Amino acid sequence: MKKNSMWSLKLNTASLVLIPAAVGINYIGKLFAGALKLPLWLDSIGTILAACLAGPIVGALCGAINNIIYGFTLDPVSFIYALSQVGIGIVAGVLAYKGKMKGLVGSIITGLIIACVATVVSTPINIAMYGGQTGNIWGDALFTWCTANQFPTWLASGLDELVVDIPDKVAVTLIAFGIYKALPKKLTILYKNDQAIESLD
Amino acid sequence: MKSISLYQDKNTVIHRIDPLSKILYILVAIIVPFLLASQIASAAFILVSIIILLMGKSLKRTVPMLGFSGLILITVVIIQGIFRPDNVTPALVLGSVVFYKEGLLFALGISLNVINILMSFSILVLTTKPSDMVETFVRMGLSPKLGYVLSSVFQIIPQMTETMATITDAQRSRGMETEGNLTTRVKAFFPLISPVVMNSLITTKERAIALEVRGFDSKQKKTFLTEVKKTRSEKVIKIVLAAVLILSLIGRVLIWLR
Repeated sequence: MKKNSMWSLKLNTASLVLIPAAVGINYIGKLFAGALKLPLWLDSIGTILAACLAGPIVGALCGAINNIIYGFTLDPVSFIYALSQVGIGIVAGVLAYKGKMKGLVGSIITGLIIACVATVVSTPINIAMYGGQTGNIWGDALFTWCTANQFPTWLASGLDELVVDIPDKVAVTLIAFGIYKALPKKLTILYKNDQAIESLD
Repeated sequence: MKSISLYQDKNTVIHRIDPLSKILYILVAIIVPFLLASQIASAAFILVSIIILLMGKSLKRTVPMLGFSGLILITVVIIQGIFRPDNVTPALVLGSVVFYKEGLLFALGISLNVINILMSFSILVLTTKPSDMVETFVRMGLSPKLGYVLSSVFQIIPQMTETMATITDAQRSRGMETEGNLTTRVKAFFPLISPVVMNSLITTKERAIALEVRGFDSKQKKTFLTEVKKTRSEKVIKIVLAAVLILSLIGRVLIWLR
């Protein structure tokens, strides 16, 4: 049986229906984090889960659609941040496909890599939109300290984003990994496109 | 069921305008101040947006949209005003804290920019039904399948919030603590989120089957349920917006030539 490439874009109905569910999971994660007053965003569980289930392309689509929906309903600024969600989806999909997300350590490393990618994509946006801040108290406190100590803006802003992203993305990846492990096989098999379909007629 | 969108059904002129014109307005409102590199242009567009929102009786509803970014903007003003590296000229002294002119001007530019984007978007968001918006995109050439994905998000999220409330109640009645110190709250997160996620992923399978049975994958050309009426005023709006864009392009070129 030939294994299909992870980039093969076979948007079957199952993967398409996964996207709104993933966006919903992102939204619920954010809602629960808010309701329990947790100091993290936890708003990319769905994106990472979808990327693990159906590969980088669906993951990227989930990330993009997630922010487009936010943009059209709650906060227009999130349109631009769709780029960083796309980055998260692609990286999570690639790493999951390569089998890096096995076990606790693998998930933590994956989370760290995702955090770095998210930072690299978000920092230029933060600088262009808000002069480098993120809106998170801890990150912005660090930003203030860096700016007051004559750090260049890109470094101050990057650290601002990174310090929030690392705990957030590691936590999100661990949660997504835990859920992924617990999913029944008959569900995960729907999204794998490495099976050959045999026609009987 | 509570909708996630801030849209509210009202019968005003603005609500009846084609979503496409509103999208064009957003583009113009963002591109023109950028082309002219002028804060006055941003301010002017903010004013125009406010007038349009007043006509659409939706100005009050921009408050939750401005809330989140507004908070960041306030910290931008404070941090840049005090700490920006090229701060030289003191502008305002409050006790031992000194706000500098350069930082404040920089923060003003950022605030005008963000508020302008927010205001122009809120015209589209607050006065257009989400499903109409998706329909416009499909008419413009978006694949109907992706159109389905977009509009089903608007249905799925309220459903999931309901499931979330049910599960929170169920877990609480089993004695789970959702309040208290950080460890208690972190511990509460997993038993709350995993049933919702599992549930929604399992229903995706049923949804996929239901869709395929109804010919979702069919290659036939899809038709629309409603027809668009093309009026003359719509055309005028689009022409005016295009003219503003072209004029600002000419303005940009003139600035370069000078």
